[in-house]
Amino acid sequence: MIEMFQEWYQARHEYAREWKKKNPGGKVVGFFCTYVPEEILLAADILPVRILGSHEPQNVTEPHIFGMYCPFCRDCLAQGLEGRYDYLDGVMIAQSCLHIRQAFTSWQKHVGTPWSYYLPMPHHVQSEDRAVEFYAAELNDFKKAVEDWTGRKIGDDDLKRGIEKMNKSRQAMRDLYELRKRPNPPLSGLEAMYAAVTEQWIDKNEHAVVVRQAIDRELDKRDLGLGGKTRLMLFGSEDDDTAFVKMVEGSGSVIVIDDHCTGSRYFWNDTILDGDDPLTAIARRYVNRPPCPTKDWPERRRLAHVLKLAKDWNVAGAIVIQQKFCDPHELDIPEQRRNLEKNGIKTLMLELDVTVPVGQFKIRVEAFLETLSEEDLF
Amino acid sequence: MGKYPTEPLKLWNKAKELRQKFYENYAKAHDKGGLRYAGGAWTFDAVPFGLGQDVYSLTSEPYGASCAYNKEFSLRCLEAAEGYGYARDLCSYMRNYWGSILINEYAFGGPFPRPDFIWQDHICCSHAKWYQTMSELEGGIPMYCVDVGVGAAPPFGQLKPHKIDYVAGQILDGIDWLEKVTGRTFNDELYIEACWNDFRSTHTWAKVCELNQTVPASLDEKTLYSLYVLATLSKASKWCADFYEELYDEVKDRASRGIAAVVNEQARVMSDTQPPWAFLKVFRYLEEYGCVSVGSLYTFGLEGMWDYTEDKGLTPRPMPVQRPTSREEATRMLVDWHLRKPEYQHFYSPEYKSKLMIAICKQWKLNGVMLHYNRGCEGLSLGIAENRLAIQEAGFPVMTFEGNMGDEREFDEARTMARVDAFMETLGIKRVGRA
Amino acid sequence: MITAGIDIGSKTVKIVALKDAKEIVGQVMILAGTDVKESISKAWAELEKTAGVKPGDLAAIVATGAGKGDAVNARRTVTEVSADAKGANFLNPEVRTVIDVGAEEGRAIRIDAAGKVVDFAINEKCAAGAGAFTEAMARALEVEIKELGPLSLKSTQEVAMNAQCAVFAESELVTLVHAKTPKPDMARAVHNAISDRIVSMVRRVGMEEKVMLIGGVANNVGFLDSLQRDLNTTVIVPEDSESVSALGAAVLAAEEA
Repeated sequence: MIEMFQEWYQARHEYAREWKKKNPGGKVVGFFCTYVPEEILLAADILPVRILGSHEPQNVTEPHIFGMYCPFCRDCLAQGLEGRYDYLDGVMIAQSCLHIRQAFTSWQKHVGTPWSYYLPMPHHVQSEDRAVEFYAAELNDFKKAVEDWTGRKIGDDDLKRGIEKMNKSRQAMRDLYELRKRPNPPLSGLEAMYAAVTEQWIDKNEHAVVVRQAIDRELDKRDLGLGGKTRLMLFGSEDDDTAFVKMVEGSGSVIVIDDHCTGSRYFWNDTILDGDDPLTAIARRYVNRPPCPTKDWPERRRLAHVLKLAKDWNVAGAIVIQQKFCDPHELDIPEQRRNLEKNGIKTLMLELDVTVPVGQFKIRVEAFLETLSEEDLF
Repeated sequence: MGKYPTEPLKLWNKAKELRQKFYENYAKAHDKGGLRYAGGAWTFDAVPFGLGQDVYSLTSEPYGASCAYNKEFSLRCLEAAEGYGYARDLCSYMRNYWGSILINEYAFGGPFPRPDFIWQDHICCSHAKWYQTMSELEGGIPMYCVDVGVGAAPPFGQLKPHKIDYVAGQILDGIDWLEKVTGRTFNDELYIEACWNDFRSTHTWAKVCELNQTVPASLDEKTLYSLYVLATLSKASKWCADFYEELYDEVKDRASRGIAAVVNEQARVMSDTQPPWAFLKVFRYLEEYGCVSVGSLYTFGLEGMWDYTEDKGLTPRPMPVQRPTSREEATRMLVDWHLRKPEYQHFYSPEYKSKLMIAICKQWKLNGVMLHYNRGCEGLSLGIAENRLAIQEAGFPVMTFEGNMGDEREFDEARTMARVDAFMETLGIKRVGRA
Repeated sequence: MITAGIDIGSKTVKIVALKDAKEIVGQVMILAGTDVKESISKAWAELEKTAGVKPGDLAAIVATGAGKGDAVNARRTVTEVSADAKGANFLNPEVRTVIDVGAEEGRAIRIDAAGKVVDFAINEKCAAGAGAFTEAMARALEVEIKELGPLSLKSTQEVAMNAQCAVFAESELVTLVHAKTPKPDMARAVHNAISDRIVSMVRRVGMEEKVMLIGGVANNVGFLDSLQRDLNTTVIVPEDSESVSALGAAVLAAEEA
């Protein structure tokens, strides 16, 4: 069951194409950031598909995105320009960082996906009610745009359906992550990464079923011998570099928790109705979720969240996966590192590109693990 | 003997004095019981004026540029920021600014004057974070920041009421916050006056820039930098609005008499993004070719307020018909005014900026465009590659040069001059000398 | 009427003498020493010795290259961009895209039927130094620089190497060496990486047939192979690919003599 996630990861485009065949007339919308309110897409029975890069060198984005912007956003755009997402009916973004925004706007102009939407997700999430009110109104406009496009109305019941579907999927993933708290985690960080990242493009119900089955039938008694390994956390920009994660764990560690753009931030909190109308509830969920650094001000609320994850999952150290040139995370990382180190959690900083020098990184990771195990002696 | 007559700008020295005074006032604010605050060039600076007539500001970006202008000082600032753990590819204004705090040296002499509060806006990824870090470096300063990222303005998008509500709401909450933090009572009269000065400054600046459509151009971009900076420093102050009105009269006179900034003007270009501040000699070099940079969307529209339509292109935005009469009305007018800023629109799509840039090419009669691929500013370099394609498609030759507005280690002077030479060759423009 | 173009580069000085704007009657290339003026004199002396052409015989001289300011007997100077354009056009008037890859700088130039420059791009920071990079890679692989190209053609599998950052790529090569990747495959990866960077730059100006490759790296068969695959076209490489700039300068000299 757990290997299903890896299969899905390696055949990502095939899944969406199959889905379209099985759901004639069904629409697939590519999205660029986890702030996109998929509840509304699900309410319209649309399949949302997170657009990610392929970790291959490319030479097609230079005319469109200046090289000083992160390799990830260029890798994403390259997928579109190379025609790999030609099955998309629409593409959208919820406003977060500047870099990925360019992947979206260049995609709009050059890739030919028929429908697109730019959703101004607010940055002042700490203004709470102001941001919620604003975002609820934007979501209302967005909902209308989806209705116009699909030709069908989205009522409150549809929205509730979408909310429930998202929440179920999120809860399943949180339960899966909960298992990683165990002293002998029944799944590796790589396996968890496959599960987390595929949640972002597989039908949520289908994905949740496999997660549940894995939890109920496979993982409970599973022993991978990870009990003696050094427990690590990954945090930072975006990471779905499987070669990198394999190398880190192959060096004598197990990754038990994360906070990054293709990991736990995606499913960490639910949409709760609690007396609100569905759109306001959805707005509230995205305003209150673990924030992207661009939305974490004036207070640094991410510090407490990341530290709590580290403590609750009992990690010895954290690897900072900094996507080269990623400003939002570069603005957070110095304070994050200080905060973790002050609380007894050592950190290693690595700068990632679409491909990484695995050999050189291995030396650093091994050295880092050695410093962590030295602590155990005392 | 040049092709055109030229004269120095009479108000040149006054501009310099006003700028110098601005920085002195901030440093000396406490001397007579006044307040001082820090915020960006796009912050709603009209608001703190409501706290009294003795409230002075330090504006982030121009301060960063002032640091960058002095190469030796800048290097010390940048290295201090990097030593603290901040990456080299972050906004270079920000790194200069933080470094200035870390080494505790004010670019205008003395120690770095600590602000009493922070009043900021946020549209690019760095704006709010800049001040979050500043507060940390200074051991904690009260901070309030207004998010303006609500979507494009007309003609590219609609400014629906809920968008105005969000920004205005944050400002009104911010006013309550300012009262708490400073212990002062907010004065709506002073606030409304400041809003009106803001409109005057930004409207008049656009009118000044419009005058540069004449051939020859009576101002070159290097001069424009020294003039537009005043609006970035303090657009809501009376002295800025008054100065621009005075400036408009002088420039109108220059333009009507055919006074040229570059006496041998034979070609006109525009630039984009902030220039490499430590290498403004690039503009002097252009003069060897009789080439004048008449401005840019950056100098025209960073603070200048314009209307844009497909058929009329860019025209200075007219002043509001009536002064606001209440705090709420002033706030909504201020928000509506600023959300239409030309340099906000590209945050939603490079297409919008391309249209504005192409309008400048046509209306200001340009031969070509020089784009500064500025590694120091993500916000203004956003989408620049697509702008390049669109401007070319519209029939205007474009050259690009990579650099950094605030980190001179990232600017290759010789290579850039070589590119300018190559570009002039492609335009068929030969050297004519400066005079 | 004989005109000449002199290209004073960082590594070599080249002179091409052109008769009646049609026929190449003299061509020299010498290694540049640290004394630029001395190198220039040497080049002229060589031209006289091999082709019997002296500066005094020339109707006009145009200089190009990094050291063009030192060419005292040149009527005027032009950038390599304009010189490349004219030279390529002279050799083949059907060429519309010129790619010049030298030791430290790469250029992509689109030209019209008359050899006039329509658009150009020069490598930015992030795509630094093709020629110098191949030298470093050759050293890392312990092969002679001239062997690197033929070696890469023997490759049997494609191995990915980061194309964006030369420093990252060198780091990756070390990893591949330790993983005992066959040398031909690594050599090919190196050429693919450079080609990716160059092609990124070409795409900025847009590729239009026909395409010509000039400059020092044009002689590298491995790079040419990668380039042709990436652009999906046949690329013309002239015989004296390093002298095209000087030739173009000679053509420009003839145009105004």
